[in-house]
This record gives sequence, C-alpha cells and structure tokens, in this order.
Amino acid sequence: MTTHFRRTARAGAILGLASLALVACGRDAGSDAPVEQGEAIGDGKATGTIEVWAMGTEGEVLGDFAEAFAEENPDAEVEVTAVPWDSAHDKIANAIAAGETPDVTLVGTTWMGEFAESGGLDPLPEDLVDSAAFFDGAWGSTEVGGTSYGVPWYVETRVLYYRKDLAAKAGWDEAPATWDELKQFTTDLQSKGGAEYGIQLQAGNTGSWQTVLPFAWTNGVAVTNDEGTEYTIDSPEMVEALDYYTSFFEEGISPMRMLDPGELESGFADGTYGSFISGPWHTGLVEEQGVDEDEYGVALLPGVDSAGGTSFVGGGDLAVFSDSDNKESAWKFVQWLADPATQQGFYDEVGDLPAVSESWETGELSEDPQLAVFGEQLDNALAPPAVPTWEEVATVIDGEVEKATKGATSVEDAVAEMQRQAEQIGTGL
Amino acid sequence: MSTLTAERQAAPPKAPASRGGGEWRRTPTWLYGVLFAGLFLVVVPFVWMLLSSLKPEAEVRAVPPTWWPETITLDNYSTLFTKLDFPTYFLNSAIVALAVTAGNMVFCSMLGYALAKLDFPGKKALFAIVLGTLMIPGVVTFVPLFVLTTNIGLSNTLLGMVLPFLAGPFGVFLMRQFIQALPDELIQAARIDGAGELRIFFSVILPLCGPALATLGILTFLTSWNNFLWPLVVAQTEEKYTLPVALALYSVGQNATQYGLLLAGSVVVVLPVLAIFLVLQRHIMQGIAMTGIK
Amino acid sequence: MSTVATRTGTRTRHVDPTRRQQAVAAWALALPFVLLFAVFSLGPVLASLGMSFTDMRRTDIRDPFAVNPVGLDNYVQLVQDPLFRKVTLNTLLYLLLGVPLTMAVALLVAVGINRVERFRGFLRVGYYLPVVTSIVAVSVVWKFLYRDNGGLFNTILGWVGIDGPGWLDSTTLALPSLVLMAVWRNFGTLMVIFLAGLQTIPQEVNEAAEVDGASGWSRFRHVTLPMLRPTLLFGAVITGLGYLQFFEEAFVMTKGGPLDSTRSATYFTFDQFGFGNYGYAAAASYLLFLAVVLLTWVQFRWLGERDETTVKGAKR
Repeated sequence: MTTHFRRTARAGAILGLASLALVACGRDAGSDAPVEQGEAIGDGKATGTIEVWAMGTEGEVLGDFAEAFAEENPDAEVEVTAVPWDSAHDKIANAIAAGETPDVTLVGTTWMGEFAESGGLDPLPEDLVDSAAFFDGAWGSTEVGGTSYGVPWYVETRVLYYRKDLAAKAGWDEAPATWDELKQFTTDLQSKGGAEYGIQLQAGNTGSWQTVLPFAWTNGVAVTNDEGTEYTIDSPEMVEALDYYTSFFEEGISPMRMLDPGELESGFADGTYGSFISGPWHTGLVEEQGVDEDEYGVALLPGVDSAGGTSFVGGGDLAVFSDSDNKESAWKFVQWLADPATQQGFYDEVGDLPAVSESWETGELSEDPQLAVFGEQLDNALAPPAVPTWEEVATVIDGEVEKATKGATSVEDAVAEMQRQAEQIGTGL
Repeated sequence: MSTLTAERQAAPPKAPASRGGGEWRRTPTWLYGVLFAGLFLVVVPFVWMLLSSLKPEAEVRAVPPTWWPETITLDNYSTLFTKLDFPTYFLNSAIVALAVTAGNMVFCSMLGYALAKLDFPGKKALFAIVLGTLMIPGVVTFVPLFVLTTNIGLSNTLLGMVLPFLAGPFGVFLMRQFIQALPDELIQAARIDGAGELRIFFSVILPLCGPALATLGILTFLTSWNNFLWPLVVAQTEEKYTLPVALALYSVGQNATQYGLLLAGSVVVVLPVLAIFLVLQRHIMQGIAMTGIK
Repeated sequence: MSTVATRTGTRTRHVDPTRRQQAVAAWALALPFVLLFAVFSLGPVLASLGMSFTDMRRTDIRDPFAVNPVGLDNYVQLVQDPLFRKVTLNTLLYLLLGVPLTMAVALLVAVGINRVERFRGFLRVGYYLPVVTSIVAVSVVWKFLYRDNGGLFNTILGWVGIDGPGWLDSTTLALPSLVLMAVWRNFGTLMVIFLAGLQTIPQEVNEAAEVDGASGWSRFRHVTLPMLRPTLLFGAVITGLGYLQFFEEAFVMTKGGPLDSTRSATYFTFDQFGFGNYGYAAAASYLLFLAVVLLTWVQFRWLGERDETTVKGAKR
C-alpha cells in the first residue's frame, strides 16, 4: 500500500513541477515590428577567422577558392567546413538552437524564411550590395517580411528539355512558345514523333510544386500578398493553371507514376519521354545516358498567350549568423563572393550559375547557346515566398496536386483545399 | 518425468561440441536445399550493390538496372579514397562505435541482471521507465538532446557523439530477458558458497552471457556505426566527421546524387560491420554449458 | 526446493541474502546506466513531453520559453486531423501484417540454421545481409522487382497468365508490398536474437524428450517454444516497436504515396518535425507512445513470464 501511495505522490510531484515550468512560458505579444536592415559595415579589410559552412561541391571547393580573398585581406583567415546536403537543414537549425554557430553559411533558398524568423540570421547590412545587380527572383528568396537576410550566391532555374530530333520528326522546328503550342507539341511528340509520352510531369508528391507553381505564376497567380502575411492561392487563375496541368495527365500525354531515380534520363535517351521540365544539372545527366548534344534542346517555359513563361528559381543564398562573433568580416567575405568577377570565377570552377546578372555578360556564360536559355529564363523566374512555413504549405500543394491529377478530387476543390490548409498553417510571419 | 529436472541440475558438463549419437541429429538434406535457396533470395541486393559499385555512374542509373557491369571501373573506389580523408573518418567511426558498443555491453548487462534476478525497491518502475523511452521515436528528443549536449561543452567532440548512446534501453531489455532464462539455482549455489552479490554477477552470470552479449554487441555496433544524423549535428569541423557523414558529403548533392560513389561507400562502410559480425557470431552459437552446481 | 549437498554440513537450507544486501548490490550495478540514462535520455524525453503542450515551432528555438502553453490543443488537433488518422491506420496495418510475418520467418530460419551441422556461419552471415545492405541498393533492386512493366514479380506472374498490377502505384497494394520488403529487410536481426535464444535450450532437454517418444513438431511446441518464451517476448516487442517506427522503406520507395497510403505515423512525425512544428510533432510521438505502451502491455500479458513450475512440470 505504501509503495502505491509513494508512487502516486512521486508522479504528482513530477506533474506539479512540469506544470510550473509551463506556466513560466509565454509568448511576447508585441514583436511584430518590421526588422531593420543592419548598419552599414566599415570600409577596412576583413580580420580574424571567418568560419564558413558550405554544402556539397561548393563546400569542397570553397576553401581553396577563398585563398584569393585571404590575399586581399591578409589579416583574415577563411575556414570552410563542408557539410552534406542531406540534413544540412537540420544541422543549421540545431546550431541556431544551441547558439553554437559559425560565421557564414550557405542556405538553401527555401530555408531563408524559417531561419530568419527564428532570429538566427543577421539582417543584411545596408549598402553591402546593390540588390538590382541580382536576378529579381533570386533576390526575392532573401527577403523575409520585407527585410533582406542574405545575398544570393548561385542560382538554378527550370526550363523545357525536349528531344529536338523527335520534335523535327513531328514537324516542329522550334520549341513551343505558348500553352496551346505546348499542348500541341507534346501531343505531336507522341503521335508523330514516336515518344511514348509527350512530356513527363510530376503527378504530385515530392516537389511537384516546383513544376506546378511556374504554370500558376505564368498565369498571374501570386501565392501570398506582398507582405507575405496572407495566402492568396485560391483564385480563378490558379484553377485555370491547375486545370491545364492536370489535362496532360487526363489526356495521357504524361505518365502518372512516380519515376525511379535514373528512369527519367534513361527514358529521355530512349525516347520514352519526349520532353520534361528541369534545371541545369540535367544537361550532364542526360548526356551521360547517351543523348547527343544535337539530339536535345532546352527552351524557355511557354507563356499563356505569348512567349515567356515564368519559371522557378532556386539555388543558394549566403547568410551570416546572428551568433557570429566576427560579423563585419563575415559580411565582407559575402560581399566578395557576390562580386561579378568572383561569381564568374566560381562558375568556371564549379559550374554554379551566378546570381549576379553582370557575370553573364562575358565568358562562357555569354557564348554557350544552352546557357543563354537559362540566363534568359532567369530574367523571368520567381522564388516561392520566403515564409517560415513554406515547406509545410508546399507539401499541402503537392498533396492536393496529386489528388487532382489522379482524379480523386476536382481541380476547384483541390485549389480550395490548398487555400484552406495554407490558411490554417499560416505564413509564420 | 523427473529426468528433466534432475538432468538439468546434475548433468555433467558436456563439451557442447560433441554432437555424436542421437538419431535426430542427422540433418535432412532437404533442409540444406531450402536454406540455400532462401539464402540466394536474400543475398541478391547485396550482390547487386557490390557489382554496381564497379560500374560507371551512368550505368548505375540505367533503368532497367543491369546485373553484370557492362564496364568495370574502379573510379568510384579511387574517388572515395582520394577525395575523402578516409583514415580520419574511419578512425572516428571506429572509436565512437566501439565505445558505444563496449559501454552498452557492460552497463546494460549490469542493469539487466539486477532487473532479472535481484529484488529491490523501484525495480518495476525502473524497468517500465527504461522500456518506455524505447518507445519514443528518436526524432522527438533530438532537439533537447542537442541543446543539452552543446551546453555541457560536448559540441564537436567524439565524447559528445558517444555519451548519449551509452545507456541504451534496448540493451537492458535484451540482457534482462536472456538473464531471466538462466537458472536461479546457479545464483543460489554461489550465495551458499559465500560469494557476494557483485562477485556473483561478474564470476557466475557474465561468463554465461556469451550469446546475449555477442548479440547485443553486433546490433549495437551496427546501429552506432551507421548513425548519421547525430554525428553530423555534433561535429562542427570536418575532422570530427564519421564515415557515413563523410560519405553523404561527397555523394549527395542539392539536386542530384552520385549513386556509384554512394554504393562504393556503402560497400566500404558495411565491411567492418560484417567483420564484427563474423567475429562475434561464433559466440552466439556457443552453447551455454549448463554446468551443474559444484 | 531441492536439497543440495552441503559442504561442512552446518547449513541445510538456502540462504537468501537480506533484501538490503540485494538492494545495495542492485543499485550499485544499476548506477552507471541510470546516471547516463537520466541525463541523456530521460531529460530530453521530459523536455519534449513539455514541448508537446506548447505551440512551439522551429522559429522559437532560441527562446524556448517564449512559447504559449496550449494544454491539450495539439492532441485534440491531431485526433481531428484526417491525415493523422490515416497514418495511424496505416501503421496499425504495418504492425498486424509485419510483426507475425517477420517473427515467423526469423524463427523458421533460426530453427533451420540451428538444426544443420555445416555451413552455419555462412548461412548466418548470409541471412543477416539484408539488414546491413545499403538502403539505396535495396530500393533499386526491390523497385525493379515491383515494376509494372518488366518487373520481376510481374514477369513471373505473366508466365502463369496473370497480368500483374502496378504494385507501388496502387493505393491498396503499395503498403503490403512495402511490408514484404520490410520483412525481408529486418528478419535478420530477429534471427540472430532467436539463434542466441535457441542456444539457451540445453541439448539434453530435447534428447530426453525424444527418448520419451515425442515427435519433432511436438518437441518444438512443448519444449522449444515454451523455453524460448522470454526471447519470443523480446522479439515481439522489439519488432513491434520497429514497425511502429517504420519509415525508411516508405521514404525511399514511395515517399509516403501514392496518396499517403504508405505514410506511417513516424513518417508523419518526421514530416511535422521537418516543418518545424515541434510542439505538434512531439504530441504525435506521445500519442504513438500511448498506443505502443498498450501494445507492449498486451504482449507482456500474452508472452510474459509464467511460473517456473508450470514449465518444469509440463513433461509430466
């Protein structure tokens, strides 16, 4: 009996302490004032150690590449730690949580919102860079609630890849420029060009939003209002765009299944898929599978009635942590990386497309016709809203797109549901 | 039939290796057939993994997948060993995994024995709590754990990668179940002989735990060796990375993955686990000599 | 209670150490584990439990106390969330299909290997390989097996005239397909545990039973299984917990689709955590925890310790 009583008493004590702790919690009511840009940094050279996190190939190469910076700033030292892309997001989040961060980090463009909102990133100092020097869409990815928290480093955008030879067989000398043309083009690729599917589009799940939103944007949809405080997904334009997207599946022009890794490239090479929408990395991948340079081409995304569709822009931004102990020098390093000459040098080294438009005016970037398409598309590309809850809302969009393409709900219902759930989730700002 | 209990108590220590006699010992051939057929089914992906690590990237991605490499290349392996600072990462992984394994084997068997054979206040509650934490997905405790580890100064240390995993509830549960099956008479006899409680644990019980310890060792080593997320988050500089982290660094990109490299890395990562398995699995099959009471 | 030969003849009964001696020894043995456990496991668990009663998100991470306590709101919202209900159902299905299948396969293989005399080591390592094979390799091969056009399963079905479906593209077949793959992938761990357990059954017991005239199957049912009880319980609980945390296979093969039919409760929690909804994710974990406690309690009742005398007396 006594053990029982003791056990209950113990449980009660623990609960009591826990509730006490909870009582101590509470959110501040008024922290909604817009954050100001940081103070402009001084003119001198950088000093001290600048610790940098960078992922993937960029991380592997940056250490050596940054030696040029060290030469210009002899009192400074750049230490780069390469971080795997797999879970880099978690690593940064945890570092911010524990208050143990380096000075500079590469940030995926869709992560800016949540990290900025957590207070872990330092607002961009005024006049550090000229925002007009960057592609609009790329700059948009750094702005959270009207304040910029970083500088775009490299970009990628999505274009239409298509089999030129199959298109020629189907009677097309040029890529389609409007939505009607795209429909006809892909149908012809199937019926006359010999492809099993005219185009490969994602039916939903895992990132289909990156292909669907460009259609929406092209039709004039704005996902949020200007301040990023409300969602404006539900609109006739959105319904039209999604309707157009799902029609490819309904008419059998695009497969509905999720492809296995490698399946798209193999399928493109053997003519199963006549076209698809993707970013610059796919040029290497399809050529690896044996597609000849003259057998395929890339083209701007089609607009609704006239040429010029809006595409998706992604890539990486550079940010400085608010827990950094060497902020001024850190921002100087960022400034150096954003310099047009540095950007071009980095492209030569790694192949990342520069975020600064001036870098595209010289060198290989201006001469290669394929790259020219990407460059032109970058002038008409948007980033998703830099709000903290974006990942979650994107998943909602993916889910509803899947239901619509597979016929589980109507397009109108899908869009309405997207709006409803997005509102419930909120933007986090 | 009293033969049963009597035999269990008084059977002379028979060397487990002697398998002569008894009709039932002859193994039916069909069993071999079935086992090997099953083995074939089970081993196919592993073999594909090995073969594919020798293929160039484009062939690895080819759909439908190929079996024998059309082109054999050692590129994946050479990239692995030249680009990565292999010895450092391997050493880090080894230190962490071995420390976690050894720690678990010792601490979990101690507590497992206490829970299985001793009577003490708080026993049931302790077991319930330990078992309870086993049921909570690691993902959820991750953030508080990381904040804690950093604030006690263990960020970017191998110790920080080891400590949180030294007290694994899985090990306690495993050891408790095994030790429970050991006969109480052994313990009673040792007590009569005048041995202290701790002495009983170390001299009587532990030697009999060969199979259980070996099992725990293998399973703990595997988990710890393949652990990716925790070492990634604890390490602040590359020299503290473990092997899985380094592997992901070089093969998984923002938009594309280098599967050839990843597979080659997986082969290399799996080898120590298999080595430990081969070493320890003999102990799993070591029969417990049911020695009678002296 | 049997009499035991004494040494000097002065004692004629068992000596039980005092409860106090046992308690001291027990806590001495338990101390290292308990200390580490309290700091690194219990602490974070309690912290995350607290988290589940707030509306904490990732953006609050630097100021964890500046969140609003919301009582049971997260839990209520979860129960009302159609996706959470769906994933709970999925997880239950995984459990019901996966646990018995994995245990049966593991037990069969363990008994088989225990029975043969040669190649044991070879067979043990081989059957354990799926557990250690990289998930990338596993997924490539299994995706090939399950492909609609040209996949191995459908090709074989084609030989007998059956038009196989798109296994992983079907909302009804995807989950069982993944269960099969999970069984294949995970039975090796259980097999190792069962092998060790089988070793605790002394040779003499089986031989005595055979001398008594018991057949193979009868021996298995009345001698082997009862003596394996603690191990079987362990296996059942661990496998149950494993399937509750079922995640990797779905993540790699189907990404939770099609239409969320292969999304498990753990996948859901993982997603929520990824979105930064820490409070909500924590609440989901603790709901799962409650379900598991229930499941485990049932398993303990069913397979748990029985009175020793019942086992010993069974042969009578």
